[in-house]
Amino acid sequence: MAALSDEQVDYILDELRAHGIRLEGLRDNLLDHICILLEERLETGGDFESAYAALIPCFYRQELYELEEEALFITSLKGPHLVLSRNRLFQCLLGIVASPYISYFLLWFFILRPAGDPRQPIDVLDAIMVFALFPFLIILVLFLTPDRFDPLIPWRSKVLIGGKTLIRVLPAAT
Amino acid sequence: MVYSTELLKGTLKTIVLKLLVDNKKMYGYEITQKVKELTQDKIQITEGALYPTLHGLEADGLVTTETEYIGKRVRKYYSLNLAGKTRAKEKVNELASFVQTMTLLLDLKTKTL
Repeated sequence: MAALSDEQVDYILDELRAHGIRLEGLRDNLLDHICILLEERLETGGDFESAYAALIPCFYRQELYELEEEALFITSLKGPHLVLSRNRLFQCLLGIVASPYISYFLLWFFILRPAGDPRQPIDVLDAIMVFALFPFLIILVLFLTPDRFDPLIPWRSKVLIGGKTLIRVLPAAT
Repeated sequence: MVYSTELLKGTLKTIVLKLLVDNKKMYGYEITQKVKELTQDKIQITEGALYPTLHGLEADGLVTTETEYIGKRVRKYYSLNLAGKTRAKEKVNELASFVQTMTLLLDLKTKTL
């Protein structure tokens, strides 16, 4: 059977990403499926580009990302668990981390602060420490939402962040 | 005769679960081909229906997955865990009961005689 070259596989992978397939598992499945069908078609003749262009519309009605939306919809129906978007998760974590400091500061500023007392330098330092947590929060959110990873960060960078993704990425990286 | 999508929609999960019971572990393309083969092309599962369903089964914790690298691409094999086997049995029994009921409701036995 005709085997697709690495460049052709990369091309399909890029196309899947470009058309909104961001769930890693779904993308792997689609990539494998498309590769098998293309290899079958190329076996009987023809070129890669035209075979790909003819095949890919069979996978959707309007747009390829329908598959991802359907998968996410099915997942959202399962059980009593909470599904947070990446942005919402980031907001929640930021709220948990920053809100005690902000509450304390507001309490101090409006109630406890002696009249005419200027802000102390130590307050500024506190604020810097709290907001220095931002990068760590971003990394934490990315780690907790690996399926939403690829659009933001090059895939090789995954090895820097999480054990799960490390296992997933290493064989392809060698 | 190829059955309509509407007719198949409610049975796809059961079909996939039963295939995984019978075949231990399968990947997506293999599932579509097996269904075509077993039904003599009367049922053709589309990729657009199959992969969201497999994703849902995984999210439900009914299947375990293992991956195999084929060059640069990954092949994802699905197999049932204990909960999946139990659910498969339930779904098949439910569908069998449904078919019996529909047979009575539509008076199919009389019509085929």
